[in-house]
Amino acid sequence: MNPAWIIFCKELKDTLRDRRTIITMVLIPLLLFPVLMTIVTKVTSSQTKKAQEKTIKVGLIAQNNAAAFRDILLNRDDMEIHEDIAIEDIESMIKEDKLDAVIRIDAQFDQQVADQKSGDIHLHFKSSKDLNVTRRRLTPLINDYEEQLVTDRFDRLYLDRNIGDAIKTHRHDVASDQEKFGKAVGGFLPYMFIIFCFMGCMYPAIDLGAGEKERGTLETLLASPASRFQILLGKFGVVALAGLTSTCLTFIGIFVAVSQHREIVEKLTDVIGSLLAPANIAISISLLLPLTIFFAAALLAISIFAKSFKEAQSLMTPLNLFIILPVFVGLLPGIELTSLTALIPVLNVSLATKEVLAGTITMPLLLEVYASLILLAGLSLFFCAKWFDRESVIFRES
Amino acid sequence: MVIVENLTKIFKLSRQQKREMGEGFVGNTVDAVRDISFTCQPGRVFALLGPNGAGKTTTLRLIATMLKPTSGSISVAGFDTVQQSQDVRTNLGFLTGNTGLYDRLTPNEMVKYFADLHGLDRATFETQRDHFFRLLDMEEFANRRIGKLSTGMRQKVSIVRTIIHDPDVIVFDEPTNGLDVVTSRNIVRLIRDCKEAGKTVIFSTHRMGEVSLLSDDLAIVHQGKLCYNGTFEDFQDQMQTPSLEDEFIRLVEEESGQILKD
Repeated sequence: MNPAWIIFCKELKDTLRDRRTIITMVLIPLLLFPVLMTIVTKVTSSQTKKAQEKTIKVGLIAQNNAAAFRDILLNRDDMEIHEDIAIEDIESMIKEDKLDAVIRIDAQFDQQVADQKSGDIHLHFKSSKDLNVTRRRLTPLINDYEEQLVTDRFDRLYLDRNIGDAIKTHRHDVASDQEKFGKAVGGFLPYMFIIFCFMGCMYPAIDLGAGEKERGTLETLLASPASRFQILLGKFGVVALAGLTSTCLTFIGIFVAVSQHREIVEKLTDVIGSLLAPANIAISISLLLPLTIFFAAALLAISIFAKSFKEAQSLMTPLNLFIILPVFVGLLPGIELTSLTALIPVLNVSLATKEVLAGTITMPLLLEVYASLILLAGLSLFFCAKWFDRESVIFRES
Repeated sequence: MVIVENLTKIFKLSRQQKREMGEGFVGNTVDAVRDISFTCQPGRVFALLGPNGAGKTTTLRLIATMLKPTSGSISVAGFDTVQQSQDVRTNLGFLTGNTGLYDRLTPNEMVKYFADLHGLDRATFETQRDHFFRLLDMEEFANRRIGKLSTGMRQKVSIVRTIIHDPDVIVFDEPTNGLDVVTSRNIVRLIRDCKEAGKTVIFSTHRMGEVSLLSDDLAIVHQGKLCYNGTFEDFQDQMQTPSLEDEFIRLVEEESGQILKD
């Protein structure tokens, strides 16, 4: 058996027995999205339902105006109308939750309406409360009342109500749902995959490099017949596999989360489901594969350099920034995959994945991304091998 | 057999390491080992004695091919450590006092791992493992995680890991460092067993007591230079002080004076 394979198998067994690695490599990517989505949807829907069903306390300062509107409000079962409110108390009463909202009708309202002008109605509310449901419940009532006043005006003038609509816009979007959502959601998905890929590589890299130094096992391994490169290859294989596993589990996690919550926005979940079609996933993973090799080699090089687990962690933390920054740039509007951005590591994966999910990727650009990533992966592995060969790195502690 | 000829190892210092050497230090390099030569014979125990920082570990790491010599050569079991490093490692067992083990593996898995790396076939491995596990009373904890074993049990695992492939040369770097009396005794017994089996044994130590207990041949190193090289018997005959300890200190101080003069 090849020593690299023996080391790979042993490191894999050792890694799979490490609780910390299992948490970051398997549990978090697999469970984060389903759990997060379940919590968010449950809490949001229960809060929205509660806010929609509760009887809201509405203050009404009509000042003998808009009698018809006042009647509408008073006849509603889902509202408790309070009319004994002073104008100067409006803000404090809403802030102190004594009222959910106040509708203040201007003293000149009837006169303004009679003069064919716009009558002023002020709606006071606290948008930070109850997911803004109070405003959303009151606005249609005001709109209905307005519609009634406008219709009356047209009737008095013996005009058809539709005459008021000078333009009727018909929107015909040629972008497919996959394109629209792919560009939007597609920016967020690679962000998640890349971060989880990096995190998945991180702990095994620390454990197999600095951890081995700290435990004093590296020396015994170096005294075995395995060559430095075989040792590195065995370790590197496990780190890369961990990163890739983490990425695949993130895919599965998102897929499970989306399939479980079809009831929220069926169209959106359908589109996300189609974004995660096998062909798209295959291309996305193939893009992430060289990036994983780069992460694994870079993290292993840092870990081998570090004297201890702690030092490795502190050296790797700033590296997070170099990963998050390009991925974040990829989320910004207007940043597209071009022949230049296709050469920037991490950013190119983020942008290419976005294009793949939207179904708008072009073959030359995709090939350029692959070429740049494969070159980067090869260089990082070469550098890591050279690094592992240096006595000053391996025996840095002495 | 191990033959060390005119071995020199110079380390280039990083800026931080230079700072750590103190203000009086001049230069960018440090000579960890300077022009040392010795031979370790099969069936004999060779002790490398010296105070901390003398260059013992560097010498043993050079023998084990972990480091490359700046100049000079080392031959282990007939193989050159630079040209035939893999052959050297195949014929070598290496054990240190602070040898770590993989806590998440069992003794069985740990030993199997190193047997596989040394290319042992299944039957040979099983015969060797059963023999050593019985000899060192390890059967009871052979399948328990190493992280849950006592220091003595762990040391036994280290011993079997070192000799599972039946190497011709065994290197012990301060093997009893930090171990209790009972655990140290296992090491001493192992060194004697290896000698009786005709192996070439090299061990480094800074304890004179261990030297008198085990060694046939002796080399004293100080600040990377050899102060004495010969048999232990000759060393005793040439002693100018009443105890081994005093003689060791006398030699080291004499060498320090020489270095200062140089």
